[in-house]
Amino acid sequence: MWKLALRNVSRQKLRTAMTVGAIAAGVVSLVLAGGFVADIFVQLREFTIHSQLGHMQVYKEGYYQYGTQAPAKYVIDDPEPVKAALLKNPQVNDVMARLNFSGLMSNGRSDLAIIGEGVEPNKEQKLGTYLSIIAGRHLTDDDQFGIVLGEGVAQSQKLSPGERVTLLMNNKDGSLNSLDFEVVGVFRSFSKEFDSRAVRIPLAAAQELLTSPGVNSLVVSLQRTADTEAVAAATRLQLSGKGYELKTWEELSDFYRSTVELYDVQFGVLRLIILGMVVLGVANSVNMSIFERYGEFGTMRALGDRNRTVFGLILAENVIVGSTGAAIGIVLGILLAVAISAVGIPMPPPPNSNTPYVAYIRLVPLDLLGAFVIGLMAAVTAASMPSWRVSRSHVADALRRNI
Amino acid sequence: MATRAPVVQVEHICKDYKLGEETVHALKDISFNIDDGVFLAIAGPSGSGKSTMLNMIGCIDTPTSGKIVVDGTDVSGKTPDELADLRSRTISFVFQTFNLFPVLSAEENVEYPMLRRTDISKSERKERVSFFLNTVGLAKYAGHRPNQLSGGQRQRVAIARALATRPRIVLADEPTANLDYKTGESILSMMKAINRAFETTFVFSTHDQRVMGMADRLVRIEDGELTTLGVRAGNVWKYVKEKDVPIPTSDAEMQQLLKEDPELRRMIMEDPELRRALLDDQSVAGVAGKGGR
Ligand SMILES: Nc1ncnc2c1ncn2[C@@H]1O[C@H](COP(=O)(O)OP(=O)(O)OP(=O)(O)O)[C@@H](O)[C@H]1O
Ligand SMILES: [Mg+2]
Repeated sequence: MWKLALRNVSRQKLRTAMTVGAIAAGVVSLVLAGGFVADIFVQLREFTIHSQLGHMQVYKEGYYQYGTQAPAKYVIDDPEPVKAALLKNPQVNDVMARLNFSGLMSNGRSDLAIIGEGVEPNKEQKLGTYLSIIAGRHLTDDDQFGIVLGEGVAQSQKLSPGERVTLLMNNKDGSLNSLDFEVVGVFRSFSKEFDSRAVRIPLAAAQELLTSPGVNSLVVSLQRTADTEAVAAATRLQLSGKGYELKTWEELSDFYRSTVELYDVQFGVLRLIILGMVVLGVANSVNMSIFERYGEFGTMRALGDRNRTVFGLILAENVIVGSTGAAIGIVLGILLAVAISAVGIPMPPPPNSNTPYVAYIRLVPLDLLGAFVIGLMAAVTAASMPSWRVSRSHVADALRRNI
Repeated sequence: MATRAPVVQVEHICKDYKLGEETVHALKDISFNIDDGVFLAIAGPSGSGKSTMLNMIGCIDTPTSGKIVVDGTDVSGKTPDELADLRSRTISFVFQTFNLFPVLSAEENVEYPMLRRTDISKSERKERVSFFLNTVGLAKYAGHRPNQLSGGQRQRVAIARALATRPRIVLADEPTANLDYKTGESILSMMKAINRAFETTFVFSTHDQRVMGMADRLVRIEDGELTTLGVRAGNVWKYVKEKDVPIPTSDAEMQQLLKEDPELRRMIMEDPELRRALLDDQSVAGVAGKGGR
């Protein structure tokens, strides 16, 4: 039967070629669109991790829910043992600490309420940051009392790199503490609102201001993103019952999650549309060739073939056509993907960033399989209706068409 | 002749077609038997219901009422699959349009209907293919595709295909209509020889005088009604319903008969279909010129 099907398929070379071509085109577009979306996911993921979140963060229990209002209440007083424990894990690349504060900043003429973060500058640099410097430079570990200001802060206070400011805040026991800093740079983030209130200083300076040796969060970066869940699970076990909590980047990034969800839905719809288009494109030629061979199917049945044999033959033919088209589509899609990736697709800056980036076509085996199945399904779906009708039709009527 | 039970019993068959509001009575209460081993011709004018009758016998169409028994099996109420299996075992078709599978070679076409017969082994299959291709004189063309064969050769392949399953009955709807005179004749005598040699029952529908000349049974259908049942007795049709008409073997003989028999001449003048069945029109014009058309 497969032999007969194969020969029937190769009978109408041009028409079969067109059907195969339509399926291949659909599969190619699926491969490319899917690979593009997959790449966006990966880039967005890495961007999310390397802009600020790290792979996971460890806090004092309750910080995640309440800490933004009162960071001072949720401080890990002695971070060293936790840090050491984390670093023991070979999958962990690095651990760095952050300490949040709020207070007043004075340029000698006026005061401004700010929120700030004490960070380990070099480690932050290594992880990557969503802050881009528009004047001066980033903080480094050598800047003992350096400060970088948000764009809005610098503007309203009329500050530029080299000038000096004073930070003023309540420490743990309620007394006022102040320190002088030198502006080393001005940054811009994705949020104007954030930029009009935010500053960054070295961790040690922040600890001195707050007269506390503690930190709010320990940001963990891993060797490989794929290990996140495993390491998180292991660490949770390690830290359980000691008053800490742990969040992975995925839990922290609402944005990543909702973006992926959105894209997934969109891509699902796109898949359906492509499937529909291929089915429509293929249906016509499949229909035509089945209709033309109506008499032949009548002959088969007159010679004693059962209905399901006829149905099976037509389906077999279209499985051959569909899988050929899908296979060609996959191969073409891969070649195109490689070619496009070699050049790269220049992309506008993603949200939360102002640097344009280059997108590639990422080939995910599971997506390739999905594209193949869709190509195959298109042919089979297009054929199933008319072939069912043929196999149900009246034999004598079918034979009458043999003119 | 009919020592064995009839291969086919047709009992009070009616067939109606609905065309919109109208109902076409294609067959009206037809009954007859087909004895084993006969060479039976179904004759009648165009549109009289010959093909419809053959389709009923071949179980590819179902009568509106009446009963058909094929090879001892009452086929009414059988499922399509059961009918397919019945066809596969006992019935073969030879079509006016040959209906070979264009993608299969001559031998593959002959082999095709045997493929689903689990009772025929592969070696048996191959044997039959070469035997029947040989029988129809196409051994040399075994590997040819239908489009590499002439019309006559295609019909021979179709006949070999029909015979390969060793059916009880071969149904042929105007098998020579698409062939030229000589080819048609050789196909017919081949079928006749096969009928003699294998005692396979052949049923034809035809307009062709020569087919009737070779038949040993004649069923005449006109406007859906069975008008004549003839059994060959030597050189004469013994008619069940009508006057006996001699079977002419050549035009000259026919004209001789017409000269001698004014009754026959009158019948032929009155009945254009009989005229067409027994003569080609020129000879009628020659014999009965003035009265004719
Ligand atoms: N599927 C159908 N639908 C409607 N009417 C039909 C159908 N098939 C046949 N008929 C009618 O039934 C009658 C008998 O048709 P049939 O094909 O059996 O004639 P026939 O004797 O084989 O004619 P011919 O010698 O021209 O082949 C005709 O009047 C035809 O119009
Ligand atoms: Mg007919």
